[in-house]
Amino acid sequence: MNNNINFEHKMYAHCETGTLVSLLNNAGYQITEPMVFGIASGIFFGYFETKDFPFPTFIVRSRPGEVRENLAKALNIKLKKFKFKNADEGMKKLDSLLEEGRVVGAQVDFFYMDYFPEWMRVHNNVHFVNILGKEGNNYIISDSYHREIAYLDQNLLRKARWAGGTMAPKGFLFYPEKLDPSVDLSKPIPKSIKKAARNMINLPIPFIGIKGIYKFADKLKTWPGLARDIEHLSHEIMKINILLEDQGTGGAGFRYMYATFLKQASELMNNPKLNEMSERIMEIGDDWRKISYFAAKIGKNRDLGEERIAELSDMIRKQGDAEKVFFKELKKVY
Amino acid sequence: MIEINNADLTKEIAQLIIDTLNIEHVTADQVNIETPLFSDENELELDSVDAIEIVVAIQRSYGIRINSELPTREILNSIQSIADFLVKENAVKKIA
Repeated sequence: MNNNINFEHKMYAHCETGTLVSLLNNAGYQITEPMVFGIASGIFFGYFETKDFPFPTFIVRSRPGEVRENLAKALNIKLKKFKFKNADEGMKKLDSLLEEGRVVGAQVDFFYMDYFPEWMRVHNNVHFVNILGKEGNNYIISDSYHREIAYLDQNLLRKARWAGGTMAPKGFLFYPEKLDPSVDLSKPIPKSIKKAARNMINLPIPFIGIKGIYKFADKLKTWPGLARDIEHLSHEIMKINILLEDQGTGGAGFRYMYATFLKQASELMNNPKLNEMSERIMEIGDDWRKISYFAAKIGKNRDLGEERIAELSDMIRKQGDAEKVFFKELKKVY
Repeated sequence: MIEINNADLTKEIAQLIIDTLNIEHVTADQVNIETPLFSDENELELDSVDAIEIVVAIQRSYGIRINSELPTREILNSIQSIADFLVKENAVKKIA
């Protein structure tokens, strides 16, 4: 089997964008992680309080898989994709693709990636890795969150690809079948920026975009009444920091990554306004980081009285104000 | 720009973490600079919530911003990797 030993492994901020960048760069298509995120209009906000979640939660990027699909569309990349009903069939297909010498992207449950220490491993059905080959009973894995190429036992990979629950991977595999190296990266940028701005300010859904940030600020005040006890509340408040900083966001809930995209886009398009917008979203990111820090501190110290929660709510509301002005202006750039 | 050798820089970072998180069971000299910061083997006994406090402390102390150019988990891998990042960002100048 060709084990793709020349595949250059690197760490990236986020697993989905990192897997795509790795696949594309190794296929000779030069693109950065922030550029992938920006062209795919990945920046987002959504606040969710439904029975699908045991406690209210929020997201700071578009739904898993959307970055991949938007990027492919914008850059005229033909992705070959597979989902399976049968695990044997899915493992066999993976082996045959590896036999052909392909590097294959896969959706897995992070919990089974045993090359990470046990304390890090939580169930997350939307982790993405690249599979490079197979040696004996082990698959060779390039995981954006791991410092080196890793090895994973075939039984664990099978469990990871067929984990059950919300957003189950169903053995999902993909690889770029056809790339168009002549695509000018600057072409899709105006449209992708407009789309991102529209998602943040114009979608008529009360919990999405800027409306979602305001909803989060308001609803946060109800969290003490929803939590079982102070331990539970502290866990949920500290999770704000985890969702903004610790889930491969590149810091500040993907706002820094988007700022880097705008900076790179500014250079590519020779448009100084984009650089100015980059600096502004970077500063907005700094304030999201302050929210992370504040949430982590009050959660850890169990300092969760009414005043503290109101203070946190106010900080989030101000982010809504800042992002509203920012995205309205960004939309006008093109 | 501050000029500092690697041993002093890594000790300074270890001390910054100890002070930021009010760690009392270990001194800066006892911390292995290569051991992954958030592993069970690390003498500092950190958890993931501590990461944001370390990030903010480093940003304030060295006047830099830790953002998406390099994955935060790579920068925060160990005290040595934080030191390498500060040198790379020209926050300090490493001398022999």
